[in-house]
Amino acid sequence: MPSLDFATLFWWGLPLVAAPVLIHLINLLRQRRVKWAAMEFLLASQRRYRTRVLLRQIALLALRTLAVLGLVAALAQPRWRSAGGIAGGDATTHLVILDDSCSMGDATGDEGDLETDAAAGDTRRATAFDRGRRVVERIAADLASSVGRHRLAVAVTSQLAASADALPPLLPFTDIAPGSIQTVRDAVGRAAAGAGAAGPREACSGMRRLVAAAGGPRVVWLVGDFRGRDWLGSDEPAATLRQLAADGATLRLVDCAGNGPGSNLTLERLAVVGGVPAANVLLPVEVEIRNDGPTAVRDVAVELREDGGGRPGVRIDEIPAGGTVSRRFDVRFTTPGSHALEASLPGDVLQADDSRQAVIDVVDRVDVLVVDGAPDAASGGLGSGDGFYVATALAPGAGAATGLRPRVVPPAALAATDLSRFDCLWILDVERLDAAAVAAVEAYARAGGGVVFFCGPRTRADVVNDTLHRGGEGLFPVPLAGAIDLLPDAKAAAQTPDVTVEDHPVVAVLAGQRNPLLDAVRIERFWAIDRGFDAADHGVRRLLSLRTGQPLAIEKTFGDGLVVAVLTTAAPEWNNWARANPSWVVVLLELESHLARLRRQAESVTVGEAVTVRLEAGVDEPDVDFVVPPDAAVVRQTAVATSGPLLEATLSATARAGIVEARWRRLDGTEQQRSFAVNVDPGEGRLERAGIGRLEAALRGVPFRYDRATDVAATAGDVAGRPLAVPLLIVVAALLLLEQLVAYAAGYHPVARRPTA
Amino acid sequence: MTRGSRQYLRPDAIARIHRLELRARAVVEGALAGLHKSPFKGQSVEFLQHREYVRGDDLRRVDWKVWGRQDRFTVKEFEEETNLRLTLLVDGSASMDYGGGAEAVPPRPTKYDAAATLAASLAWLALSHGDAVGCGVFDDRLRGSVPARTKRSQLTSICDVLEAPRNAGTGDFHRVLRSVAESLPKRGMVVIVSDLLGDRDGVFAGLQLLRTRGHDLAIVHVLDDDEIDFRFEGATRFEGLELPAHLACNPRALRDGYLAAVEAFLGEVRQRAAAVRCDYALVRTGEPLDAALVRFLSRRASVAV
Repeated sequence: MPSLDFATLFWWGLPLVAAPVLIHLINLLRQRRVKWAAMEFLLASQRRYRTRVLLRQIALLALRTLAVLGLVAALAQPRWRSAGGIAGGDATTHLVILDDSCSMGDATGDEGDLETDAAAGDTRRATAFDRGRRVVERIAADLASSVGRHRLAVAVTSQLAASADALPPLLPFTDIAPGSIQTVRDAVGRAAAGAGAAGPREACSGMRRLVAAAGGPRVVWLVGDFRGRDWLGSDEPAATLRQLAADGATLRLVDCAGNGPGSNLTLERLAVVGGVPAANVLLPVEVEIRNDGPTAVRDVAVELREDGGGRPGVRIDEIPAGGTVSRRFDVRFTTPGSHALEASLPGDVLQADDSRQAVIDVVDRVDVLVVDGAPDAASGGLGSGDGFYVATALAPGAGAATGLRPRVVPPAALAATDLSRFDCLWILDVERLDAAAVAAVEAYARAGGGVVFFCGPRTRADVVNDTLHRGGEGLFPVPLAGAIDLLPDAKAAAQTPDVTVEDHPVVAVLAGQRNPLLDAVRIERFWAIDRGFDAADHGVRRLLSLRTGQPLAIEKTFGDGLVVAVLTTAAPEWNNWARANPSWVVVLLELESHLARLRRQAESVTVGEAVTVRLEAGVDEPDVDFVVPPDAAVVRQTAVATSGPLLEATLSATARAGIVEARWRRLDGTEQQRSFAVNVDPGEGRLERAGIGRLEAALRGVPFRYDRATDVAATAGDVAGRPLAVPLLIVVAALLLLEQLVAYAAGYHPVARRPTA
Repeated sequence: MTRGSRQYLRPDAIARIHRLELRARAVVEGALAGLHKSPFKGQSVEFLQHREYVRGDDLRRVDWKVWGRQDRFTVKEFEEETNLRLTLLVDGSASMDYGGGAEAVPPRPTKYDAAATLAASLAWLALSHGDAVGCGVFDDRLRGSVPARTKRSQLTSICDVLEAPRNAGTGDFHRVLRSVAESLPKRGMVVIVSDLLGDRDGVFAGLQLLRTRGHDLAIVHVLDDDEIDFRFEGATRFEGLELPAHLACNPRALRDGYLAAVEAFLGEVRQRAAAVRCDYALVRTGEPLDAALVRFLSRRASVAV
C-alpha cells in the first residue's frame, strides 16, 4: 500500500474532477421531453440569449470542476514550506536526538513500568532511557501510519558531543514505512544510557550540524530527562534551540524522566587525602557521599575493594536530604605499583553513580630533598643541625615507616639536582642560593612542587628579600625584617603558649582544645617580618602564630605548588620544638603530605574524556595498549610527539566507568603499566528536573511543544510546513457560493412569478 | 345530448352563461326578428333613410310622395332586426393539442378541449336565444363543419363536429378564413377560437376579408398556462408540435426571452385585432372557462351600441 502522501491522494482523487462533466452528460440523457406548441417563442429566446446562456453554462461547469478539484486537493492535506512551494509531496525529516547521558539511567517511576533485559534474561524497572527508546519506536510507528512522507534519523547526545569526526547517527536518514519500524527498533535497541555526561548541553554543536545536514521541512525531537543542571545552568541549549527554530525547524521536547521523588545517593569523591603513597605506609582515603533525595538516608553501607579484593567498608549513620557526608579510612599497600580502590553503594534509582574508583600509585619510597645550609651538611651526612632533625622527623627509621626517604644536600648541589623526582624540598637556614638554584626551585614550585623554608641564624634578610621574596614576586611568602627574641610575657598570670595553631589542615590535628604538646614548645628567637607587609593583600596563609601575634609559619601558593616558611630554626637552636616533642614529627609529616598533595593528586578522568599517557622518546616504545572496562578490550594507540622529548598516547574517549590500564614497553624491554580511574561525573546524580515552568522560562521566545513520554504521539499535525487544507476548504466554499450565484443567474433557481397577460 | 355535448357543456359553465344576453354589435342578416340589430336595411317598422332608385328595386318600396314633390324616384329603407347568425371556427391544428395530462396542477384541459368547450358554450347560448349557429373545425382547411341553423338539435351536430377525430395538421388561417368568407351567405358573427400560433399575417388578412364582408368578428385566444408562464424546470427537450424543430435547454435560462417573445406576440395580436375591429379575449386553459366566457360576453355587452 503506498503511503498516503499529498501526491498519491491528489492523483487518486483527481478523476473526481470529471464528476461535474459526467453529471452534465447524464442529465442530458435524462432530459424530459415536452411536445411544445409555442416553439417560435422558445427559438426566438434561444437565438437572443445563446451567447449568454453558453457563457453561464461554461462558468458553472468550470466552477463546479474547480470546487471538486479544490476539495480533492484539501483532502490530500497539502502543506506549504517556508522555503517555498507545496510541501505535500516532499518528505518531512524527523531528527530524534536521544539523551544517553548517565542520568538517563534513572529508574524513578511507576513500579509497574518494567523493561525486559533480553541479554540478562531478567526484568527490571524501566529507566528514563528505556522510556526514551519507546518514544522513538512510537514516533516511527506513528509516522509510518500518518499522512505524508517522513524520514527519520536518530542520534544520541554522546555521538553529537564527539569531535568533528563524529560517529554516524544511530539511525541514518531512513524513509519511514510500516516495514521500517523494525529497523528503527533494532537501531535504538543497540543504544543504552551511557556513563558519560554528554547531554543536550554538550551535544549542541553536533545537534546544529545534524539538523543543518537534513534540509527541507524538519521536526527536531529532543528526547531526554531535562535535568536542571543541563537546562538551567547554561544558555547554550536554549540558544541552540532558538537557532533551530529560526531556521524553520519544528521543535518537540519529550520528557522521559520518571514521576516521583527519586532518592539517589551519589559517590561524589574517593581520593587519598594525605600521607605518603609508599609501600607499607598508611594512606588516609576519604569517601564522600551526597544525598539528592528529599529525605534523609540512614545506615548507608559503603563497600570497599582494594585491587579487586574485599576489605572492611564504611558505614554512615545518616546523610541528610540534600547533604553530603564524608568518611575517612586508611589503606596500606605492601607493594609498589598502581593499586585500585573501589567504593560502592547499595543500588538505587541511578546505579551508575553508586560506585567510584581510585588509582593509587604506590612507590617503594618517596624521595624528599633536604637542603641543609649548615657547613657540615656538605659532607653528605645528616649532621647535627637542621637537616638531622628534619630528616629524622620525616624518616624516623625502622618501626615507624613513613615511606619517605630524605636526602640531605648542601645548597651548592641544588642547581645540579633534578628536583622533579623529589616529593618536596626542604631548604633549611640557607645563607644564599645562587640564581640558578633560585630558578630551579621556583620552577619546581611552579610545576606543583612543595617547598619548605626554615629560617635561622644563617638566614640573611636582605638575601631573602632580594632573591627569594622580591617584593612578592618570588616564592618566599614574606619579607623578613630581622631576627628577634621572643620575650616572656611578664604580665600574664599564667604562661601563655608561645605557639598557637591557625586554621590550616597541616595543624588541624593540633587544633581544638589546648594541646599540651604544642603548649610545651618554646620559641626563643624568630625572624620577624616587615611590619608594612599585609598578609591578606598577598594571599599568604598562616599555619602557626606566636603569642605576640606575629606569624611563625606562613604558606603561599606559587604557581601550581605551595611554599611554607617557618620563621625559626628546625633544629632546637632557637626553640625546643624538635627536642623530644612528638608534635614536631606530626607537623612535619603533615607538612610534607600537604605540600606534596598536588604532585600526588591522582589524575581524574571522567567518562567521555580521553586518557593520555606521556612517554619519553628514546626511552619508551611508542605503542601503548589500553585495556578498557568492562570486558578488558584492548585498544592500541601509537604515541605521537608533542613538545620536546615527550610523546603522548591517547585513548580518545572513555565510554564506561572503571579502571583503564595502559601498558607499554621500554626500549630496554621492561614492561611498564599505569592505571587510570575513570569515573562517572558525580553531577549526573543531581536528578532535579528543570520542569516545564522553568523550561519555558529558560526557552522564552523559542516555539516548542513539550510532552511527557507517555503522551507523545507524532500526528500529522507535526509535519513541518503550513497546512493548506483549511485555506483550500475556504476557497472551495467561496467557489461553491459563486457557483450558486451563477446558477441563480443561469436560471437554476426558482424565480418570482411574472404574469404576462 | 351526445357524449360530446355533455363533455363540453359543463353545468357550471352553462349556468353562468344563461344569465346573460348575447347581443351582436353589428347588424346581421336573418330571417328572425329579435333582440339583435341587423346590419341589413329592409322592410321594417322603423324608417331608416331614402336612397335613389336603381333598376331592380321593388316598385312597392318607391316613395311616391318624394316623386310628387321632387320629381325623382327614391326608395325607403327600414331597419330590420333579425336573429344572430353565429359561425364558430375552432382551430383544430396540432398546436391545439398541447396541455392536459395528469401532472398539471390543477388539472387543465388541452387547448382544443378548452376551445371546443368555449365554442359549444357559445353555441348553446346562441341557440337558446334563437340564433343560428354554425361551427367548423379547421387546420390547414376546414375539416368539419355544420351550417348555421336554429334547430335545437344543432347543438348536437356542433358537438359532433367538435368531437370528431381531427387530422391535427398545420394551421393555414388565411385559406380557411377566405373559404369561410366566401361560403357565408349573409353577414353574421364569426368567432374564431384558436391559439393563433402560426401565420399571423394570414390570420389577420383573413379577418380583414371577413370584416370587409361586414361580419362581426371576435377572437377567443386560447393559450395554455405553460405557454403564458413557461414555468419549466430542469433539462428539457422541447419538440415542436407544428414546427419541425426541437431544442434541448435549461428552460429557466430562456424564460426571460421566451416571456418577452410571448408578450410581444400577445401585444401584436391585440393591436392587429383592434385594427380590424375584432373583439379579442385571452383565455388561459387554467382558468374556469365559464368565467372566461362571462368575461368575453360582458365585454361585448359593454361595447355594444
